[in-house]
Amino acid sequence: MVLNTPASPPLRGSRPRRRLSVTVLCAGLAVLVVGCSGVSGSVASAVKDSSSAVATARLALRQDMEGKLTRAATATTLDDALREVDTGRSTVQKLSPATREDRDTQRQALEALDACAAAFATARAAVSADDVGSAPTTADGDRALAAAQDALNQLGDKAGGT
Amino acid sequence: MKRLLGVALGILTAIGGFVDIGDLVTNAVVGSRFGLSLVWVVAVGVVGICLFANMSGRVAAASGRATFEVIRERLGPRAGLANLSASFLINLMTVTAEIGGVALALQLASSVHYLLWIPVAAVAVWLVIWRVKFSIMENVTGLLGLTLIVFAVALFLLKPDWGVLAGQALAPAVPDGETVPTYWYYAIALFGAAMTPYEVFFFSSGAVEEGWTVKDLVQSRLNVLVGFPLGGLLSVAIAGCAAVVLLPAGIAVTSLSQVILPVAEGAGKLGLAFVLVGVVAATFGAALETTLSSGYTLAQFFGWSWGKFRRPVQAARFHLAMIICLLVGLAVLATGVDPVLVTEYSVVFSAIALPLTYLPILIVSNDPQYMGQHVNGRAVNVLGMAYLVIILVASLAAIPLMIVTGAGS
Repeated sequence: MVLNTPASPPLRGSRPRRRLSVTVLCAGLAVLVVGCSGVSGSVASAVKDSSSAVATARLALRQDMEGKLTRAATATTLDDALREVDTGRSTVQKLSPATREDRDTQRQALEALDACAAAFATARAAVSADDVGSAPTTADGDRALAAAQDALNQLGDKAGGT
Repeated sequence: MKRLLGVALGILTAIGGFVDIGDLVTNAVVGSRFGLSLVWVVAVGVVGICLFANMSGRVAAASGRATFEVIRERLGPRAGLANLSASFLINLMTVTAEIGGVALALQLASSVHYLLWIPVAAVAVWLVIWRVKFSIMENVTGLLGLTLIVFAVALFLLKPDWGVLAGQALAPAVPDGETVPTYWYYAIALFGAAMTPYEVFFFSSGAVEEGWTVKDLVQSRLNVLVGFPLGGLLSVAIAGCAAVVLLPAGIAVTSLSQVILPVAEGAGKLGLAFVLVGVVAATFGAALETTLSSGYTLAQFFGWSWGKFRRPVQAARFHLAMIICLLVGLAVLATGVDPVLVTEYSVVFSAIALPLTYLPILIVSNDPQYMGQHVNGRAVNVLGMAYLVIILVASLAAIPLMIVTGAGS
């Protein structure tokens, strides 16, 4: 039985080695946590999520134009995607940058995310208006989202590079 | 002939009933981020759920009592309480997620905001539990859930590069842009989604509801061993669709509306209609099962009169417990919490609670006092022990991985 087995004597040097392992593990975790936080990390994460949301909206709009998606499903998909962008924007807005470089990063991210929200408004108006009258068309919505996606890609490249 | 039809119906409802909001969301998230590189986890999860569902069905058929009742009696109130606490809390989270899932699917069909659908869904769940016969309830939702086969149809219509998909599945690797801890975090989430505890409690209590005896063991085994793996293939098809359409577009799934886009891409509006019916049926069916499971676990632990085979007045506390669970789920959703987020957490917490659910089942199914000659065979016990190790590792790793990966973000 395991419980009756006498404890083996500790190996020489095993305690320092265990301590070293724990230290390395803690350091690794700290690097992970620090690496994932901070202004550039948060901006990169918000940009990545928003980029996914814009890609979703463009896919839904294209399917709508090709008659593959109902208006109800397109509208819901756009609303869900906009909520994702809003969450990202709110995260970036709450950041407290300490350096000038971080302040610039935050400002650029907010501009790009505002452009995204505006593009979503165009797309949503197009879907609600059913492509009639002076309202924007779904193609207009798609163009606006494409421009927003370009801006996010540039920002993403920059955030990834820093 | 009648028996054959019964077997076919059982298998079909097992397939249709296999997928719930947890499977839908987790498989789509995983497919959109990791392709098919985590498909092996679905296989491991399906074998596990077959093993333990079969065991708990056998306990019910051999003893004439539900698994939880036997666990409480055999292992005593303390072990029973540990089992109850873990299973019940996970169950409550799953009820919440399923009702939210029904509401989200109805929003996709109608564009009416999901918060307005939540009370409708909850009342509908209560009415069905209150009024509809157990077999009708199970068969209708299970058969309608079969429309989710449209995921497999859409996957074929999308004409993917099968070699690439097979490569992802057979030589799993962490894709660029994802980390190893995130990969394992989602492996655990997928495992938890496949082995949700409510499935076994519902299966064994359902066996008592339908009056199974040892004569029904063959049918029970067929339902599990054929129905669940085919249901598992549906899960793989969901991940496959996401891997083919969403992954190349850089879309990581965070909402139910994204889950259905690959089906619309491959099968158009007709496919969309099928998938919406399927999602509503699957989530509604699972909402019924989880609500009932909440009532079953509580009633079986406290020794209350339970079961849909009794009139509600004869099982008042059982029905009241379910109404309270529905109200709690409603209250949580009314705060505006994202049902998809609740789902993602529920499958991970499900993985954490797995040892408390499955160890007692293994113990009880080896007890000749309850099982007579139907105790587990050697092969089943070896497999059961191997699964307990997997379950324990998954359970212990879940919270550290959740912290390190920021819940997989």
